[in-house]
Amino acid sequence: MNTTATRTARETEPSHALKPRLRVLLVEDDPADRDLILSELNKGEFEIHSDAAVTADEFRQRIRANCPDVVLADYNLGQWRGTDALEIMREEGLDIPLILVSGALGDVTAVECIKQGVTDYVLKDSLGRLPMALRGALKDKSAREERNRAEESLAQKVEELARSNADLEQFAYVASHDLQEPLRMVAAYTQLLAERYRGKLDEQADKYINYAVEGAVRMQSLIQDLLAFSRVGRQEIGVKSTDCNEIVERTIENLQGTILESGAVVTHGPLPRLMVRGLQLQQVFQHLIGNALKFRGPQTPAIQIAATKEGAEWTFTVADNGIGISPEYAESVFIIFNRLHTRTEYPGNGVGLAICKKIVQQHGGRIRALPRDGGGTIFNFTWPAEELAEGRGPAW
Amino acid sequence: MVTTMAEILLVDDNPADLDLTIDALAQSPWRTHVSTVSDGAEAMAYLYREGKYSEAIRPHLVLLDLNLPRKDGRAVLADMKSKPALRRIPVVIFSTSQARKDIESSYELGANSYVSKPPTLSEWVSAVKVLNEFWIGCACLPREVES
Repeated sequence: MNTTATRTARETEPSHALKPRLRVLLVEDDPADRDLILSELNKGEFEIHSDAAVTADEFRQRIRANCPDVVLADYNLGQWRGTDALEIMREEGLDIPLILVSGALGDVTAVECIKQGVTDYVLKDSLGRLPMALRGALKDKSAREERNRAEESLAQKVEELARSNADLEQFAYVASHDLQEPLRMVAAYTQLLAERYRGKLDEQADKYINYAVEGAVRMQSLIQDLLAFSRVGRQEIGVKSTDCNEIVERTIENLQGTILESGAVVTHGPLPRLMVRGLQLQQVFQHLIGNALKFRGPQTPAIQIAATKEGAEWTFTVADNGIGISPEYAESVFIIFNRLHTRTEYPGNGVGLAICKKIVQQHGGRIRALPRDGGGTIFNFTWPAEELAEGRGPAW
Repeated sequence: MVTTMAEILLVDDNPADLDLTIDALAQSPWRTHVSTVSDGAEAMAYLYREGKYSEAIRPHLVLLDLNLPRKDGRAVLADMKSKPALRRIPVVIFSTSQARKDIESSYELGANSYVSKPPTLSEWVSAVKVLNEFWIGCACLPREVES
């Protein structure tokens, strides 16, 4: 074919050469109506490839064979209805827009049809509306496909993320186990050196040995903490209805030594009964109250614990009058091994809040650190209020 | 009255850990004679007095590591506890692992106790001393089964 001629043809009738193909399945028992619809379709902006079915069986067969872009169906088809086609497509796992082309439908029927999943309907006495309905249906179809693709890719990402999290946890667990043995050798033998050869070498040697002992001991405690962090959520024990007042009182008892020594006053308001997995909520309180005691300011520590219910979740607050956290660090304090002070100022590895965050998140909650008016910090975290069945819970 | 010194068999592939235990046993109140093997297959040969171990003395106590080359500690334990000639010998599992499943399965297989290797020197020494005091100084031990 001569290209110049083609271009001329396009210029005179651009729409024809560029018409997109559209496969249409017509479900219509009246041949005259079918012709009318077809001729109307051919006037539009599409190059129509039509196929036809009359009975439900035929429809099923045609839809399997050709997978059309759009289905145009009469409402009343004698033995069956156009809306039944929707059910057939669902059975076949096909998501194809269906436009009803029928005689007058009552308002109630029309609404019912749309509810069932009909994309649009066009009255036979105003077939002129057909092209517009087609455009709408195709737009609807591509939106649906887009949404399905997005949902699929999201599901895939969620799965990948879950897998990579599981790998990471497995890695931390194995690494901390396997690292312990050689490290214990270093720690034990440097300690043995320190014990047996102190004063027998020279002062420098004693200092070097002490550095080695300190380094090994610190590494051991880091690994223990990493192990504790990776264990969060690995305990395969069920959830149990637990009184949070008891949890907090037990925590206060555990911290009695520091509380007495600092003269701290720890108070709590009425707390709810919640579904809790093992000692996880106690661990959260232990770290939060423990931190409030550790990072105390010049005045006597005062720590208040309270809970309020908002919708489907409880918000717990642990407020202190300690040294506070400047807002720019309010998020990084939750990162594992992140510390805001030297070990000489405040001991610790920076794992407690990371463990709290992991526990709270695993229960679908959030945790935040906020500055308290008049100095100090308020930690607040949420916990679902829903009553799960005993012994069961989300599988993680 | 003639008293024989208690015989202890240490099964561990890490010479550093063996030395620590030997050192700690030397500091313990009850004197013991210690033999060492470094894998599970050797441990079985020792216990059955095979090959170079034909003169071996049947131990009064075995300290057994779990992760061993060749024959694993778990397999040694299972083997010992299923043989009438060996099942009476107390076996203390002495392993780095603190994993729940290792602890449970060791008792399931018939371990007489499970001690996880302590992280520091002083804890190590005191754990070994406690084992020495209990198993050698306090517990009544079985006699060897006549074969």
